[in-house]
This record gives sequence, structure tokens and C-alpha cells, in this order.
Amino acid sequence: MTFEALLFYFFAAVMVAASLAVVTLRNPVHCALSLVLTFFTCACLWLLLRAEFLAIALVLVYVGAVMVLFLFVVMMLDIKTLPGREGFTSYLPAGLVVATVMLAELIGLMGARKLMQGGPVRDAATEQGLSNTEWLGRALFSDYILPFEIAAVILTVAIVAAVALTLRRRPNVRTQDPAQQAATRKQDRLRLVDLPHHDGSKQA
Amino acid sequence: MELSGYLPVLLFLGLAALIAAALLAIGTLIGPKRPGADKHAPYECGFVAFEDARMKFDVRYYLMAILFIVFDLEIAFIFPWAVVFRDIGLIGLIEMGMFLLLLVLGFVYVWKKGALEWE
Repeated sequence: MTFEALLFYFFAAVMVAASLAVVTLRNPVHCALSLVLTFFTCACLWLLLRAEFLAIALVLVYVGAVMVLFLFVVMMLDIKTLPGREGFTSYLPAGLVVATVMLAELIGLMGARKLMQGGPVRDAATEQGLSNTEWLGRALFSDYILPFEIAAVILTVAIVAAVALTLRRRPNVRTQDPAQQAATRKQDRLRLVDLPHHDGSKQA
Repeated sequence: MELSGYLPVLLFLGLAALIAAALLAIGTLIGPKRPGADKHAPYECGFVAFEDARMKFDVRYYLMAILFIVFDLEIAFIFPWAVVFRDIGLIGLIEMGMFLLLLVLGFVYVWKKGALEWE
């Protein structure tokens, strides 16, 4: 067994264990952290497949940003520990159907027949002698201009939608205006008054 | 990229793990240990904790996180562009310009709406 194959089995085992932990652990924070481990191991696997851009993007976007949002949501929601396995048997058939369909789709996608005939899977990047990121960049900015710009439109729509959904104006909120605070003069705030002495006479 | 090209990354990871472990070990070995009930109590700005930390938070925290994800995704698109932008010439530059323009429009919208203001 080559070193790469060993690495593959190691990462695959960690990934399967971590993804099992995601769905079985009771504490939602631990589940989210297990999901982080799953993503990270998946990135390692993709590195083994020479898909370096996807691997870095997975770490950057999912581990770095999406999981931060997940943890954020999980930690701030009003849930402590999930209830037990209640409803497990009622959800089991639907879950099995979904899992089977997904597995069938994956096998179909990978071209099971082609794999059984043998021969390595063709990789467009290595055939052209380019690195994965270079090939992706060239493809993205020559053949796939329209989808790329559509992605920008979708991201902008996401920004607008997020603001529209969550932004609430609240009246009667007292705020500080730092500029106004800094511009205050002594005479705006301070008034010197003469108070009568205890015997009634004014102080000199 | 061949796997051997990741040797520097591996070295960095190893060094980072080593430094982290060393810092923790030094603290554990040398630092004085006088535990007490007050020292282990949850602490917030000097107040005694009076409520559970798990409570409903303002939705605008999530808004910040979502906006962060969107602009983080933008970076993921800029990476391959930065690698090849010498080869793809003016078209690539214009394309990325349009991409960034759209997202800057979104950014201006967010700014003008006051979504980045913290009341």
C-alpha cells in the first residue's frame, strides 16, 4: 500500500467518524465542532485528489465562515442539549429513502461503468499540465463568464435579502454621537452659581 | 500540485502545534496553581452571572455573520483570478471588474441602509 493510500484511508476513517459524531452527539456545540472536523478532513482528501483550490475554498469558506455562523446560531439559540432519539424510528424510513437515492445518484455521477472498465479518471488540469487552480481560473474566466457574473448577482441578491429580512429599525434607542461628545465646551455643561452662606450673607 | 509540495505547509503546521503545546506545557509546569470557587465561577465584566448564557439574541448578530460569509465567498472567486490574471488579459480584468462592481453595489446598499450601524 502506498503512502497516499494510507493517508486516504486515515482521512476517510476520521471523516466517517466525525460525520457520525455530528448526528449522534447530544450537545449541539459539539456537533458543530465535529462538522468542522468533517469539513477539514474532506479538504485533506481533496488535496490528495490534487483539487487544491476546492480544498482551500472549503477551509476558507466553510470552516472559516459558514461554521462560524453555525456555531454562532447554535450557541445563541435557546437550546441546551438535544432531546434523545425520540422520533428516530418514525424518521428512519424517509431517511433511508433519501440516503439510498443520494448514493445511487453519486454512483451514477461517478460513472460506475467507466470505473469498472478500468483506467484512471481523466483530469482536465493535469492533461494540460496546469495546476488545479490555474485550470479553474482559465475555465472560469473564458468559458464560464456568464455563470460567473450570475454568481455575483446571486451574492448581491443574498446581501439585499439578508438586510431586508433582518434589519429592524428601532425608535427610542439612545445612542452616543462621538463627534458631539468631543465638541462639547465647558460652558455647555458647567454653570457656576453663588450659594448663600449659612448665616445668610453672600460670600465675597 | 504534487503532495511533496506541501512539505512547507506540514512544517508550518508542526511548528504551530509545537509552539501551542510548549506554551500550554510551560504554563502548566511553571505557573502557580491556587484554585478556588470564585476563580472557577463564570465571569462577565465583573458581575456575578445572573442568567443563563443560552438566550435569544438579537438577529442583527446573524446579519453581520451572513454579510461576512457573502464577502468571504467573493474572496474564493478572486483567488483563481489572481493566479491566472496575467494569462487571461483584458477580458478577465473587465470580468472581475463587473463582478466586484456588483458586490460593491451590494456593499453600498448595506452601508446606506445603515445595516453596519450599531445603535
